[in-house]
Amino acid sequence: MKTRNLSLYIALLMFCSCESRLDVEPTLSISDEVALKSPENVKKLLIGTYEINGDAYSYGGYLQIFSDLLGYDNYVSWNGTFSEPREALTKNMFSNNSLIQEIWNNLFKVVSQSNLVLDHLDVFVDDAERSVVEGEARFLRAMNYFDLVRMFGTEVNGVPIRQTAVTDFGGILEIKRNSTAEVYAFIQDDIAKAISLLPEENGEFADKYAALALQARVNLYVGKFAEARDAANAVIEQGGNVLSPSFADAFNLDVDGAEDIFMMQVTSQSGENQLIQMYASEENGGRGGDISINQEFLDIFDDDNDERKHFYYENPAANLLSSKYTNQFGNVPIFRLAEMLLIRAETNIRLNTFIGSAPLDDVNALRQRSNAAPLPTVTLEDVLWERQRELAFEGFAIYDLKRTQSSVQGLPYNSPKLVLPIPRSEMDANPLMEQNEGY
Amino acid sequence: MKVRLLLFFAMLSTLALAQRRITGTVNDVQGSPLLGASVFEKGNTSNGTITDINGAFEINVPAKTKTLIVSYTGFTTLEVDVPAGSLPMLIALQESSLVLDELLVIGYGSTSKRNLTDNVVKLGTKDISNIAVSNFQSTISGKAAGVRINQTNGKVDGGINIRIRGTSSISAGSEPLYVLDGMPVINVNESNNGAPMNPLLSLSPSEIESIDILKDASSAAIYGARGANGVVLITTKKGKAGNTNVSLNISTGVSSPTHLVEWLNASEYKELFTEAAINSFGEEDGKAEAEGAFDFLSNGTDWQNGAVDTDWNKIAFRDGSQSDIDLSVSGGDLKTQYYFGGALNKTKGILVGNDLKRMSARMNVKHQLNSKVSAGMNLGISKTIIDRVDNDNSFTSPLQSIAQSPLSPAYNDDGSPNANTLYANFLLEDLYASYTTNLRRITGKIFAEYNFTEKFKFNSDLGYDMSDQTEDQYRGTQTPFMSTNGYAYNSSAKSENYIWSNYFTYKNDISDNTNFTVVAGQEFNNSDRLFNSVTGTQFPSDNFTTISSAAEITAGKGDNSRYNFLSYFGRATLNLKDKYFVKASIRRDGSSRFGSNQRYGIFPAVSLGWLVSEESFLKDNSTISFLKIRGSYGQLGNSEIGNFASRTLYNGVSYNKISGIVLTQPGNNDLTWEKSRQLDLGIEFGILKDRLSGEIDFYKKDTDGLLFKVPLPGSSGQTVFNKNIGTLESKGIEIVLNSKNLSSGYTRWSTSVNLANNNNKITSLPNNNADIIVGENINQVGQAVSSFYLVEFAGADPANGDALYYKDGLGSETTNDYSEANRVIAGNPQPTWIAGLTNEVSYKGIALTFTFVGEWGASIYNGGGVYQSSNADFFDNQDKEQLNRWQKAGDITNVPQARLYGQNGTAQSTRYLQKADFIRLRNIMLSYDLPQSITNKIKLGSARLYISGVNLLTFTSYTGYDPEARADASGYGFDNGWNFYSAPQAKTTSVGLNVNF
Repeated sequence: MKTRNLSLYIALLMFCSCESRLDVEPTLSISDEVALKSPENVKKLLIGTYEINGDAYSYGGYLQIFSDLLGYDNYVSWNGTFSEPREALTKNMFSNNSLIQEIWNNLFKVVSQSNLVLDHLDVFVDDAERSVVEGEARFLRAMNYFDLVRMFGTEVNGVPIRQTAVTDFGGILEIKRNSTAEVYAFIQDDIAKAISLLPEENGEFADKYAALALQARVNLYVGKFAEARDAANAVIEQGGNVLSPSFADAFNLDVDGAEDIFMMQVTSQSGENQLIQMYASEENGGRGGDISINQEFLDIFDDDNDERKHFYYENPAANLLSSKYTNQFGNVPIFRLAEMLLIRAETNIRLNTFIGSAPLDDVNALRQRSNAAPLPTVTLEDVLWERQRELAFEGFAIYDLKRTQSSVQGLPYNSPKLVLPIPRSEMDANPLMEQNEGY
Repeated sequence: MKVRLLLFFAMLSTLALAQRRITGTVNDVQGSPLLGASVFEKGNTSNGTITDINGAFEINVPAKTKTLIVSYTGFTTLEVDVPAGSLPMLIALQESSLVLDELLVIGYGSTSKRNLTDNVVKLGTKDISNIAVSNFQSTISGKAAGVRINQTNGKVDGGINIRIRGTSSISAGSEPLYVLDGMPVINVNESNNGAPMNPLLSLSPSEIESIDILKDASSAAIYGARGANGVVLITTKKGKAGNTNVSLNISTGVSSPTHLVEWLNASEYKELFTEAAINSFGEEDGKAEAEGAFDFLSNGTDWQNGAVDTDWNKIAFRDGSQSDIDLSVSGGDLKTQYYFGGALNKTKGILVGNDLKRMSARMNVKHQLNSKVSAGMNLGISKTIIDRVDNDNSFTSPLQSIAQSPLSPAYNDDGSPNANTLYANFLLEDLYASYTTNLRRITGKIFAEYNFTEKFKFNSDLGYDMSDQTEDQYRGTQTPFMSTNGYAYNSSAKSENYIWSNYFTYKNDISDNTNFTVVAGQEFNNSDRLFNSVTGTQFPSDNFTTISSAAEITAGKGDNSRYNFLSYFGRATLNLKDKYFVKASIRRDGSSRFGSNQRYGIFPAVSLGWLVSEESFLKDNSTISFLKIRGSYGQLGNSEIGNFASRTLYNGVSYNKISGIVLTQPGNNDLTWEKSRQLDLGIEFGILKDRLSGEIDFYKKDTDGLLFKVPLPGSSGQTVFNKNIGTLESKGIEIVLNSKNLSSGYTRWSTSVNLANNNNKITSLPNNNADIIVGENINQVGQAVSSFYLVEFAGADPANGDALYYKDGLGSETTNDYSEANRVIAGNPQPTWIAGLTNEVSYKGIALTFTFVGEWGASIYNGGGVYQSSNADFFDNQDKEQLNRWQKAGDITNVPQARLYGQNGTAQSTRYLQKADFIRLRNIMLSYDLPQSITNKIKLGSARLYISGVNLLTFTSYTGYDPEARADASGYGFDNGWNFYSAPQAKTTSVGLNVNF
């Protein structure tokens, strides 16, 4: 009888509730309430935004690669097996190109997380702290919108503007495209605010001069040459950057170099450098040279002593690979002083002004650094060629073609083939989205 | 002493007066002795014995005893009159016809097939043993109606996919719940190389006594929120009272790929690519382009004169082998039964670099303490070591080498791998890198049963399951893409699961043929997972391969997560006059996986059965020997959505070694399990004394609140959102027919056929039934889950060789502009019909058993087609079909004009989609049992020699490697029907010897 009672007792004990054990919290992650409620965490959210910004699919490399492959005719060969980048080089893209989809998604992801930061600025009690955070978030949002609108937008049709972060992802997410003009107005507004909010110095994060450099680049692209010139001039004169002693010194840097205004940071433990993947040999951490340099590119140099002409090496297949990308864990340059000099030179010529410096001096400063003979005189044409020599493989090709209304592979600058398709995934999930012509 | 009396009190009783001693032999009707048959005195279950190896028994009974009860598993229990004289009794048992009285495991209890009101399939050792595969799941393929079992592809460690009655979910897990000896086991893929691994590889098929598959809602409802995909109940071997049985099985075999695709040889390659280059760049430039490429690809060999013609199939594949040894000892008396055994498996895969070794041991003991208490313990331990190759989407996976040019030598003259190939040469990876997975597994449970009375008992089972998987990768300085002087990755994933279930059972026999049983209980399940990994680079030399030698540690990860289930369950069954059966069950589950609003779910089920053949109007019918009608209805859940799918999650990230946080998952507080309601109507019959018997079932399963990773527009900032939305209907018919074609004298022939149809159809979707398109697959209302959604390919334009596409599906206007063509539903990744056919033929000691499986209705999309079948778009080697390319005006062909870099027909379309119907000889075994005269002489209980084969024959019109190969890389896979350089299954022939002492 004793055992029986004991057993019954144990049995009943076992039936006791342990429902509180169903409250299990994740250890790897934190929730909304925690993430968005303290200044510390909102600042960390901002740093997280840089991390997304440096993703391989955007400023980690694919943005630059798509611009160059789309803008080049025969300067480079695509040797890789992936058909997605090849579609850009052959100017025959499809809307289900998975890389284009990732680029679109990632640019908007930065916009979204920048918005999340901007929507929670009220957690800051310290005004100075808030200003910097706001300035950086606006800079990142503007930078991403600029690439969205110039890659996916046409002359009139832009991309959807999201001014605040989506919080209810179960709700309505359909959104229409804004006009290109509206998108540029939005970008200009963000940049202007960023310039006024950001400090002169901000470590590896965006400072005032990064925002000014962006302002110069945007205005050059939209043809507001005076604004571009003044912004570039401000960066050159006040930003504290100087040209690296040699051309080679400007690349493959583990930390920001003398002429770097803003870089995406890469270490062996964090960050992505997709340019290495596509341009470098296997030994240098790449896929062996998916993009190689052709003779046609070497032919654009006018002086055989120009170091930039010989800035390559050979892989085992005897292809020429750019030496700009040989450090597997090197930072990715986004704004270099060289670009600012070229913008100032070009806009001074276009406007027939001499703000800051004579265009010839700006151009020759770059030529002399690379051991190329200085030019006696300089024309707009010369500056544009100089841009190609100096900024090759850094993601400028298609935009320089478009803004100078040049053609590529027989396609006029405004050909629909040179505008990226709205990704099929966006078209499938957003009924209000309008596809670009030809897709 | 040959005959032993096993019960102490039985021996005592021999002292009593008026006892008599009875001896005899128990045989089957063919005259073969039955070992371990029970012989009891009628009316006194404590006085019994069991037969020895010769079927002989000896029992002492009171003189007044008139009847003995003789029983043996799988045979009809017999009551025999005690003879008056002292001559030994000769008892012959008849095999029970429909295995109607076999016990079926149903979760927290068991029942007989006769009384069953649910749809449950039982598979026994004869279905599982002696089949040369390294995982137990593959052994039962084709043997259970409506249960589709596929290994992802031909890697030895390949993930296993089981779909019971088709797919009933879209985003959540579709795998059934595995329950080992009453305890849900860990079945989480912990592979880190991108290709899923079968976590249950740790279990040796030789440990398994039976597998019961719960298919319908009523049977699976006792597993509530985890039962929606069906339940696989595995029962391990136990000792049987009787003589000690030592069993040894040795087998060894060789394997090779089921099928190889043929690729261009060197001269065909040169011809096609030269033509392609000329078509793209003109005669002169084209030739130069092609020859430049050939110069590189040939790596200095004389390609002009055919110096090299590498068949990369031969480089990637090799002859595999499989060896098994298992030894077990089992036995016991009526109080204590034990089983212990060990097994060794060594499998050399058909892909170069892919090997598996498994050592496992099991001990199961049960002891009857007294008439009220019994207790026992099961313990299984195993270690599996797997040498793995890269996932299908990796350049260094062996099968991707088929993309290499035949002009490229695989090796240099000095025998080292050639590093100058079109793509990284996997041989470098094979030689200079290693990826070893060690899987250690302990599954154990202790259990006790307390009988308050004969009718009322209490069971308590405490189970523990530990899976410890470590992965060690080292890539040396000579491996492809190496830029960091070596690379090492170590990971450790440890999952622990404990389950405590307690339940009461009350069984009351109201009369001889009427009884009811009630089970009620509670279960708590706690599952913890701890994961760590570390990555290092910069090694002094290739002599140092452990992470401690890495000069730089580049990544470290650590995570622990947990989920809990708390459940209450109850079940009542009523058997009325052995004719009418009613069963009802309910389970309430609570899980930490769901938001606090939606934490609990109640899962009820009810089923009814009517044994018509027991009714007077059929009882003595000479034609219909058995007829049962049954029906069930119930609700089940699917909780396989990950541990924190409902939460808004921000994860830590690093930017330039500064920490940041990133929104990684938008939350949904209303997220809960998928609920499915399933109706099953079945009829079971036996005709002509069960010469022909069978089952026909119709089922309909409606799933609502489908767990969806709803694709979001990227412009929102996120790409997916977990949501319960959408409904799915899945229905089908299952037919099982068993026939005893011949059973005369020594000759026996039986056939078993199962045929199952499954049609699933999405009935509603989020956002007003908006289509959900992921890659090449669509979820669309009215269509099957993940249907292929592709532009229809229309072949080559006879006029100019342009690839043509149908603008709006087959038969519509064609266009050479891909962007003008609309996608249409083009196929289903899942089969609509699956079938199995098993034949067993025997004559005296010779037996032949074989099983065919078949699948119809599925299509496979070849993701590699854009490279392999691209009419020489890029320098990847092409399949031979590409030689049929368009060459001149008027050519009618499906292969467009070859244009190097021309993307002529390489857009995603039905060009790369193929029907994957097949019939395959899954396994075949020819065995010979040595006659008793010989085994007796060499002092063996029994001995069997056998030859067996797996996947020996395949009938299909599919031209890829294998209609049963799917991509294992993440993002591709089984449920969306993708193939991407996926290895064919192995076909294996082996010989074996099975001995019992």
